[in-house]
Amino acid sequence: MPSANTAASGRPNGFANRINLQQYVVYFGFLAIFLFFAIVLRDSGFLTVRNLSNIVLQTAPATIMAIGLVFVMSAGEIDLSIGSTVAVSALAAAVTMNDYGLVAGVLAGLGAGLLVGLLNGALVAYVKLPSFLVTLATLGLFAGVSRSMTDLRSIPVTNGTFTGFFGSGAFLGIPSLIWWTAIAVAIGHLIYRETRFGAHVLAVGDNSRAAGVSGISVPRIRLTVLMISGGLAGLAGLLYAGRLQAAKYTLGETDLMTVIAAVIVGGTLLNGGKGSIIGALVGSLMMGMLNNGLILMGLSVSDQMIVRGLIILAAVAVSLREKSR
Amino acid sequence: MTVNAEATQGAPVLRLQDIRKSFGGIVAIENFSLEVYPGEIVALVGDNGAGKSTLIKIISGVHPPTSGTMTIEGETVTMSNATMARAHGIEVVYQDLALADQQSVYMNMFLGREPTNRFGLLDRRRMIDETEKLVKELDVRIPSAHATIRDLSGGQRQGVAIARATHWASKLILLDEPTAALGVAETAKVEEIVQSLKSRNIGVLIISHSLDQVFKLSDRICVLRRGKQIGVRETAKTDKNEIIAMITGLQHS
Amino acid sequence: MRKEVTRLALLATMWATTSVYAADGVTTGPHGEKPTPAASVTLTAAEETQIKDGKFTAALVWHEMSEYTNAVNNGAQDEFKRLGIEVVAQTDAGFDAARQKADVETVLAKNPSIIVSLPVDPATAAVVYDPARTAGTKLAFVDNSPAGYVHGKDYVTIVSDDLFQMGNKAAIAMAHALGNKGKIGYIYHDADFYVTNQRDGAFKATIGQDYPDMQIVAEAGMADPARSEEIAQGMITQNPDLDGIYVTWAEPALSVLSSLRGAGNTHTKIVTLDLNEPAALDMVKGGNVAALVADEAYNIGVTVARAAAGSLVGKSSQPFLVVDSLAVTKDTVADGWKKSLNKDVPATIADALK
Repeated sequence: MPSANTAASGRPNGFANRINLQQYVVYFGFLAIFLFFAIVLRDSGFLTVRNLSNIVLQTAPATIMAIGLVFVMSAGEIDLSIGSTVAVSALAAAVTMNDYGLVAGVLAGLGAGLLVGLLNGALVAYVKLPSFLVTLATLGLFAGVSRSMTDLRSIPVTNGTFTGFFGSGAFLGIPSLIWWTAIAVAIGHLIYRETRFGAHVLAVGDNSRAAGVSGISVPRIRLTVLMISGGLAGLAGLLYAGRLQAAKYTLGETDLMTVIAAVIVGGTLLNGGKGSIIGALVGSLMMGMLNNGLILMGLSVSDQMIVRGLIILAAVAVSLREKSR
Repeated sequence: MTVNAEATQGAPVLRLQDIRKSFGGIVAIENFSLEVYPGEIVALVGDNGAGKSTLIKIISGVHPPTSGTMTIEGETVTMSNATMARAHGIEVVYQDLALADQQSVYMNMFLGREPTNRFGLLDRRRMIDETEKLVKELDVRIPSAHATIRDLSGGQRQGVAIARATHWASKLILLDEPTAALGVAETAKVEEIVQSLKSRNIGVLIISHSLDQVFKLSDRICVLRRGKQIGVRETAKTDKNEIIAMITGLQHS
Repeated sequence: MRKEVTRLALLATMWATTSVYAADGVTTGPHGEKPTPAASVTLTAAEETQIKDGKFTAALVWHEMSEYTNAVNNGAQDEFKRLGIEVVAQTDAGFDAARQKADVETVLAKNPSIIVSLPVDPATAAVVYDPARTAGTKLAFVDNSPAGYVHGKDYVTIVSDDLFQMGNKAAIAMAHALGNKGKIGYIYHDADFYVTNQRDGAFKATIGQDYPDMQIVAEAGMADPARSEEIAQGMITQNPDLDGIYVTWAEPALSVLSSLRGAGNTHTKIVTLDLNEPAALDMVKGGNVAALVADEAYNIGVTVARAAAGSLVGKSSQPFLVVDSLAVTKDTVADGWKKSLNKDVPATIADALK
């Protein structure tokens, strides 16, 4: 138990400042980077509607994965397997769709993601293994599965309804990927902030013993968050397959670190108990904007990586430093 | 064994009869009998390892007793988990408080029992209102119902934990070492809050190492030594020397 | 079910086209194109002036950055600079087709006149490059082009290694090192990747056709370079008497080298593809490495840039341009570095040569 003396000293002012900064780091960061690029790249197409909407479209799968990760990390767990779940789901969808049609394909893609989540969740919640190790193992396991599923080949997705619905289509003049992002963020935010389930996820991540003695089923929460994450990674796989009109084992491989960074920069604690879906959305957009802007600045690939790394480091340092004491 | 205290009225909220608990071959609690009446504060004292924690776990439903009966307002109950104890109106304030540090005071007040509106969404307004009402009644001085637990002092946290138990307990509150980690001023404040629970007509069972506190707060004192019940005394009719002798088993220390 | 059949048939066709080399012994393009030497791409002084006056721009959209890509990249950058074309963006997709699509979309914000790119996944790359094709950007590819794209209409050209020649030269170098006879281990790239498949196949075919006294007695496929050490270890344990081992490219060859060293084996020779400093150092010091077959990667970059620039002033190119390769041995290492990567040989190797 924390000693009364340290907790009582210097409370009111520090309290107010800390809350403000830690909640809004990602928004200030986003704004700062946006303004920087808007000024530096004012003549280079950065501010065009097309380029800005590209950023949102390109980050859609990562944003959707990030929503799942907010739930997982808020419950004090981690899901590294999303990196390979995306590929397994996309491939399952593509293969099934080519043989059995659209609906079966979509169900296979989402089902594959949920199954990975179920496996992770069962091992974490009921066998009581640490999620870091479980999902590190399943990351490798399903990377192998996705490679062997198709002998490293890419599977074309030719169903026009599918590619329209999940990829290049539009509804009411708004690209379908933006719809998916908006719907996932809205529902995710509502569940996370306004339901008992969301409150229980936070309680489990914050203090699992307290949650347990308060009548919350801790294993059930752990299972559920990992299934949410798996299911959303499955949806991300469908979006990739729709956008590329193909599925390949490499999909999602490079997203894992970007997604984790987006979630942390977005104000979700690595150890659980606190987080934000909207923050993760803005974090993900910030990552996408950073990639986009650095390319448009004409930097060499190595320089892009260095600058991106430094900016992420700075953002994470500011947000994490404010949260620990 | 049973003492008829004049201060008590009506049926006991909790009656334990011949409770015995053994783990494997080891007997942790033997022949324990105790009644707690509404509006009464009973202190449970004893040296480390005397069986106080085991007793708390039995009453809060974590460990069912090996034999003996437990009666709540005249009704015999068997409980196999903490949720059942809560359903019977028994709340525990654990030594570690069982608070979620990153969450607000009001979310902690309703942890695991959050009310929802007709859309199935959290009824924050109600949680905040009820929290504010209660902390005011109990005079727990916190900045606001929105404050995060980790920004509160130890005494304030203890206050929140007791307020939560008070909100949900209809029969009995168990307090496990409520002031062990607190400074002098904060201890006094928490003792005040505990004292005020008497007016709510519920029973309070308090475990404490501090005999000063026990004599200040309790109506009766129950002494445990090595799993055995040594005796129950009315606080007004005993003194520290007698209690110490009962705890240690040494008559003339 | 019918779709499944169609897919298999498609795949079979792809295999058939990529297998052509084995019969006639030349590199063919990914879609069966006949190779043309890269040196055939030239610009007249008038064309160069016209290009310089055009104030054109270019973007380089790579699949992944490696020593090879770096050399190609440098060649393209230098040639574009010489022609007064500004390189406005450069990207690295990390072998991820989705990211490459994003990269193409992103660089289009700068309206480049040219995009030079190596497609991560040619079979499905049409979707990746379609926005650029629609925008009228000149596309010039390294190694492969998107399935369904038509030369001259959708893209300028493909520039690549002479893949057959590389595998062929590796076999010749192996024969040279072993005195035309002996037992060989063959570690090939076990993935559907056109570049490595052709090189590996050419090595095997050459040994089979031209060297009756040399036999491939052990074969191992390597799908994941990270596991090459185990594969090498297994091959050496089972066949301690191998005279030579062919390794599909230089990095896994280093694992073979370390396994041989670990076993105290100084007898088995290694031949592999691509220049690599530690491997070259071993070769120069008289270790297991006998030869490194290198392509003129820098020249690929120069050629693709030049062909793309030419297309802006109406000059067309052959569909499949190949650069030469060379077998680098202890004696030719300094020259080889210059030719392949347009760089001086690294200091460590230069010191060892003294």
